[in-house]
Amino acid sequence: MTAHRPNTRRNATLALALAVACILPLVVTSPSHQNFLILILMFAQVGVAWNILGGYAGQVSLGHVAFFGIGAYTSTMLFIHAGISPWLGMLAGGLVSSCFAVAIGWPCFRLKGHYFSMATIAVAEILQVLFTNWESVGGAVGLNVPLAEQGWANMVFNTSKLPYYYIALGLLIVTLLANWAIERSFLGYYFRAIKDEPDAASSLGISLTRYKLVAIAISSFFTALGGSFYAQKELYIDPGSVLSTSLSIKMALVTILGGVGSLFGPVLGSTLLTSIEEVTRQAFGGSGMGTDLILYAAIIIVVAVYYPTGIVGWLRQIRRRYAKPEARG
Amino acid sequence: MNMKTIRTIVATALVLTSGFWGSARAQEEIRIGAVYPLTGAAASTGLEMKNALELAADMINNGAKGINIPLAAGAGLPNLKNAKIKLIFADHQGNPQVGATETERLITQDKVAAVIGCYFSAVTVTASQVAERYGVPFLNPESSSATLTQRNFKWFFRTTPHDDLFVHNFFEFLKDVEAKKGVKPKRIALVNENTLWGTETNKLEERLGKELGYNIVEKIIYPAKSTQLTSEVQRLKASGADLIMQSSYLGDAILAMKTYKEQGFAPEAILANDAGFNDSEFLKTLGKDGNYVLSREVWALDLTSRNPLIKQVNDLYLQKYKVDFNGNSARSFTGLFVLADAINRAKSVDPEAVRKALSETNMPGSQLIMPWAGVKFDATGQNTLGSGIIVQVQDGKYVTVWPFALASKDLIWPMPGWDKR
Amino acid sequence: MTGEILLQTLLSGVLIGLIYALVAVGLTMIFGVMDIVNFAHGEFLMFGMYSSFWLFSLFALDPLITLPLTVLMLFALGLVVYQLVIKRIINAPPLSQIFATFGMMILFRGLAQFFWKPDFRTIENSYSSGKVVFAGLHFGLPQIIAGVGAILATGAVWWFINRTRLGAALEATAQDKDAAQLMGIPSQRMFALAWGIGAACAGVAGVLLSSFFPIFPEVGANFILIAFVVVALGGFGSVSGAFWAGIIVGVVEVVGGFLLGPEYKMAIVLSLFLLVLLVRPQGLMGRA
Repeated sequence: MTAHRPNTRRNATLALALAVACILPLVVTSPSHQNFLILILMFAQVGVAWNILGGYAGQVSLGHVAFFGIGAYTSTMLFIHAGISPWLGMLAGGLVSSCFAVAIGWPCFRLKGHYFSMATIAVAEILQVLFTNWESVGGAVGLNVPLAEQGWANMVFNTSKLPYYYIALGLLIVTLLANWAIERSFLGYYFRAIKDEPDAASSLGISLTRYKLVAIAISSFFTALGGSFYAQKELYIDPGSVLSTSLSIKMALVTILGGVGSLFGPVLGSTLLTSIEEVTRQAFGGSGMGTDLILYAAIIIVVAVYYPTGIVGWLRQIRRRYAKPEARG
Repeated sequence: MNMKTIRTIVATALVLTSGFWGSARAQEEIRIGAVYPLTGAAASTGLEMKNALELAADMINNGAKGINIPLAAGAGLPNLKNAKIKLIFADHQGNPQVGATETERLITQDKVAAVIGCYFSAVTVTASQVAERYGVPFLNPESSSATLTQRNFKWFFRTTPHDDLFVHNFFEFLKDVEAKKGVKPKRIALVNENTLWGTETNKLEERLGKELGYNIVEKIIYPAKSTQLTSEVQRLKASGADLIMQSSYLGDAILAMKTYKEQGFAPEAILANDAGFNDSEFLKTLGKDGNYVLSREVWALDLTSRNPLIKQVNDLYLQKYKVDFNGNSARSFTGLFVLADAINRAKSVDPEAVRKALSETNMPGSQLIMPWAGVKFDATGQNTLGSGIIVQVQDGKYVTVWPFALASKDLIWPMPGWDKR
Repeated sequence: MTGEILLQTLLSGVLIGLIYALVAVGLTMIFGVMDIVNFAHGEFLMFGMYSSFWLFSLFALDPLITLPLTVLMLFALGLVVYQLVIKRIINAPPLSQIFATFGMMILFRGLAQFFWKPDFRTIENSYSSGKVVFAGLHFGLPQIIAGVGAILATGAVWWFINRTRLGAALEATAQDKDAAQLMGIPSQRMFALAWGIGAACAGVAGVLLSSFFPIFPEVGANFILIAFVVVALGGFGSVSGAFWAGIIVGVVEVVGGFLLGPEYKMAIVLSLFLLVLLVRPQGLMGRA
């Protein structure tokens, strides 16, 4: 019986969190606060997607923005030129992105550690240069998502933030469910084996490259969904905003802050990081003194130094500390 | 982590977020949101524009003696019980998504009556879109991308002329020079940085140059964050260009000029597209190496002989911030006056009333510190009375050389080679 | 004519490449000894530039004269960063180390803007606009000084590592810190030393750049990606690898940009980098 208790408690917590997430935007009615919540969900979603490759399989990509950008560009181009609904465009973007990821992953997975990370940055930066000079996708001028009739079919909403919120929430839940399924399936074991015991795994006959490719294909698919969502939310994309390395780093940061390789880590990480970023900028950004950057950075450094295992690791520590006396008694 | 640290953190967090979660506001203020790049590579320019806006707000609120601008009589906006302008600044960091987020916050949290910004065209795109969605007037004083006013927006107004006009000016200038001096550039090279602004300018220059029968021999689009420009300059040398048209921000403008000198590249003229070449730091840095550069501008101190306002206002700015106005800060300053004038005529901060007043704006040139015929918006929100001038650096100062009717000094063409100075 | 231009681009590429090499040497040192990705390396360079600038504008001292002072300051900054931040995350997961150095990058930029304003600054000294013309080839005097300075500085680091006892100890720690510790080499001190030297190298590069490159809080951003590429191309931890890779990157950037179009110059460098990694996954001179 006691073995089930943590599970029940966990399920209850999850149900509560979901309920709160669904009701929250109805309570927080200011569009600017809703926008803030959407940003949290959006960065959480790409963080969760990044986590599949970077956290579970341990392949630290710092070029994930390439997949984000491909998603954004694919759905937007299809919407502009073929009138295809962004919902389908989103799936198309995910597939294109997966194919690209596999093509890139094939050679890059021969590289280890920092070399792999550097190669992924290089790929994303090359892509940014190409898109900047590629006239047919708008070049440096970027693409404006046409001001189509608003509504669910076009995924364009001008008068309310709520639909964007629920789409972001839906995307996050789908990505989390996929992660959860992976974690419990044989893939999860293989990914962890690739990360922790690569030599043992390959001697057991697990093809490292094949499963790394599976990981990057899934991870890039979900990252691309986030990109398409971004395009529909901002209604404008350009290489400087959807293909910039700083966004790749942010995907990694939310995951690291929350807890690498844990299901809900990126969600917690995004909640904290996005809050710090938005709050410091809004409070001090207007001064023009750089104080917002100083504060934001100081918090990041403190977290990295004192909570190196992220929020999830910290929560586990606390739980252990309080659980011990109970167990003894 | 002990209780004390936690308490300190929580307390700090609460203080920091108090602004975020909403704040009390006084009734007699007119709140205007200003979204500018206050951190990042363009922060230097962003701060100059912030200063200009603050000077404008100060002149409206507290008056400025002896300056003959209707709203600078003092004590706020007369038609709104002398209400004062309160500027609320936000930092967009050069990021379109942040620009949109901040604009939305200013509109919904701070309930601003109008938004002004954003300098970067790419950020103006998303920020003005948010304003359009909420039906809040958006005044753009300094973004020059031509596409901004091609979107059929109802709430978007732009006081500055756009790149299309500036590029036309380039070629009109060349035609005038040909008529007056009998020189015509035979080989033109285009040098533009690779963001939205440079790329669009490049396209316009190429199209118009071809239409008018100029021989464009080289097009260079270089990455804005370059560490060296040697390959670019070698291409220019190899092309044998006698005129270059260049769009650069400050850092690359300085780097380009230094590399021209180093490599001994001296075309007959360098025709620059404002920005870096007109920044306050450009000449401070280059000294006499900056001489003879031609640049399109919207403002110049020597125009003061035609309009005394220019020097009067510039003196105030100089006194307060220890630097002269330039094209950017002068445009931001003007933008806020245009906005304030519209709000004053609207007699309220009701968005629709302000929008209507803006669209009916008819400000004579004599009330501006710009060499424009005035401010009057067409249906797309573009100011139709704006115009550009061309300045040349002579003896370390920017002097107006075109249109010839406004010129205070004669044009020097061709510019002497680097070793003949 | 064409031959001359090619030679010009080639040699100009070498000159800027020497600077890349020097920035990368500091970075690869930290990598090699501690296996930490230092995102804040470009900001060490920025501090080096500002140190030169302030000493020049306040006391009219030439950057080359104040170079030893700047080196000392940057060395000290490296030690401080190590003591305050890095030391505490040595055993943390590699990813949270990224997090910490990324935070430092933002912090340093913010501090620079806070104290020195975001203005662009430059140093105009006696040689900053000098130039050398030789057989139709043009070179800026400060670039030549910088190139020579970069060779000397890189050479000094190489000599230190390969010819001194302390350097040998550092190298031993880089190869196997536990074994080195058993041999009586205090790894903590070696780590601190690596950070000191790493920051000082970036500082020297900043000093050399300050006579011809604008100085502003974000200047590190222009160099950091290239520095990473150079380090990986040369092989993480390899000083001589970083030196040759720096020159290669400089030459490919300038010559490639000239031949294929300046808008693609970064893409050309990065593509070459990827190609090399495909053939040699450990970089040109890295340990396999």
